[in-house]
Amino acid sequence: MTLLELEGVHTYYGESHILQGVDLEVGDDEVVALLGRNGVGKTTTLRSILQLTPPAEGSIRFKGEELVGKDTYEVAEAGIGWIPEERRMFNRLSVEENLRAAVPTAAGVAEGLELAYDTFPILEERAGQRAGDLSGGQQQMLAIARGLVGQNELLLVDEPSEGLAPKIVTDVGEALLSASASVPILLIEQKLGLALDLADRYYVMDHGEIIDRGETAGVTADDEQLRRYLSA
Amino acid sequence: MIDPAAPLVIGDIVDLLTSPGEMSRIVVEGLAKGSLYLMISAGLTLIFGLMDVINFAHGAFTMYGAYIAGAALLGLGVGSMGFLGAMGSIFVVMLLVFLLLAAVGVIFEVALIRKLYEYPPIFMILLTFGLAITLEELMRMIVEFREINNGQWQIDWATPRIESVPSELASVNELGFFSFTGLQLIQIAFGVLTFVGIWAFLNKTRYGLFVRAGVEDEEMAKALGININRTFTAVFAVGSGLAGIAGVMLALDPLWAVNVPLALAVLLPAFVIVIVGGLGSFKGTAVASLLVGMIDALGTWAFQTGVITFTDLDQLMIFGILVVMLILRPRGLFGVEGQGDHG
Repeated sequence: MTLLELEGVHTYYGESHILQGVDLEVGDDEVVALLGRNGVGKTTTLRSILQLTPPAEGSIRFKGEELVGKDTYEVAEAGIGWIPEERRMFNRLSVEENLRAAVPTAAGVAEGLELAYDTFPILEERAGQRAGDLSGGQQQMLAIARGLVGQNELLLVDEPSEGLAPKIVTDVGEALLSASASVPILLIEQKLGLALDLADRYYVMDHGEIIDRGETAGVTADDEQLRRYLSA
Repeated sequence: MIDPAAPLVIGDIVDLLTSPGEMSRIVVEGLAKGSLYLMISAGLTLIFGLMDVINFAHGAFTMYGAYIAGAALLGLGVGSMGFLGAMGSIFVVMLLVFLLLAAVGVIFEVALIRKLYEYPPIFMILLTFGLAITLEELMRMIVEFREINNGQWQIDWATPRIESVPSELASVNELGFFSFTGLQLIQIAFGVLTFVGIWAFLNKTRYGLFVRAGVEDEEMAKALGININRTFTAVFAVGSGLAGIAGVMLALDPLWAVNVPLALAVLLPAFVIVIVGGLGSFKGTAVASLLVGMIDALGTWAFQTGVITFTDLDQLMIFGILVVMLILRPRGLFGVEGQGDHG
């Protein structure tokens, strides 16, 4: 069943026409990768869904409900979580406070913390530290944990492996894989191998439009066509 | 030196300054003034830190608080109530002023300020500046119409204040080296109360957590489901209420005249404190309040003891700190790089 559906979405940054009619779907039990070179509108697509950069035209439906025109916090309340590029920690808040802020209700805090610490034990060790003092990998885990404790029904994940050491990338990949067992994900990822490993389907974006789509089964990171799309 | 009685040599000044009695007097007065400054600037720093709104009307809110308090305390005849009755009345007036100005804050935020979040900061500055002028002139009209000031536009409430404040507050108490008035004790107590209250709100409540998250990254906070608009309204209400409470405290203090220009007299040091402390940092505001309070006390002491023969040295020093801070450490004592930017 379709969980998220974008139809003819046009989004502008000031005068710049970034998204030029994006159509995209995410089902309720799949991981979908959004591929493309830098600056083609992938992050803007996520920001449009979240209503951080509201679309000028088009429709974005989540569980059949129109998101365009809502406030960002209402989109989050509807069950969409964001694990943004560069992680966006609340640096001066502690690890635990970052998690608390992400739990939707006061009553759910204990349960949320437990879930986060079970998934990433290192976060429990660092619970009292300022999030800004964590390493890049630990911050990425905290960012993912914030998405997990939000009781979300869809996660928007933007460049989770960016700037991380290879060993850490593996850990993050595993964390996302285990998360995907319980929650659908729309993923932006530059590392094609990782994206194909995690995703069931992919879309390729260029100049603000979807130019290709397909199943990831049988597609490898060496795929000629995909490499051509993604090469600068 | 023109005044033959005034000249003091350096040795006299050092003797004076290092005598325990004088030093303790300065410290107590500095703490009391610092407490007042904290109450004045706490709301401003909360509002600026979260909302990036430079609220020029903040001083006007304090001025309204002072007038309402002055009128209420005189109207109730607080001076003749005895100590406990007077203190109770002051407390009730404070609570009412807080609620009243918080309500005014909600109206301003929802009806006016909210419309301008999307625009460049200059729009907000013009709006709050306009609000400040409007509020000040409105009060001037009321004051003149009611002839509260006997025709002079700057009224001195010092005389009625003696009637409005129980004598226990004005008398000097001694404790070892320390001598202090009841009023100073109350000012310090309310300063501590303000600090603890805001600190607990920010650090121990879920709403405070949302405020701190929103100060750091508004977009991310929204994306986690935090209703930042409602948080803004609440913070503006609390900040405005605090400005009003500060006004009540100032109405009790004979060193501050309750008049229309009080709005500006309050606003300038509050800005200095918020900037010196570091934009958006409550801890910084608390430290800077104490710093400015101590300097103010030192300046006042120097004038009273004849070390200097001109007034307003304290003002000079306070703004001197601002200049030095802006040159050496523009982000303030506890400010974070990028905080208060729109980037």
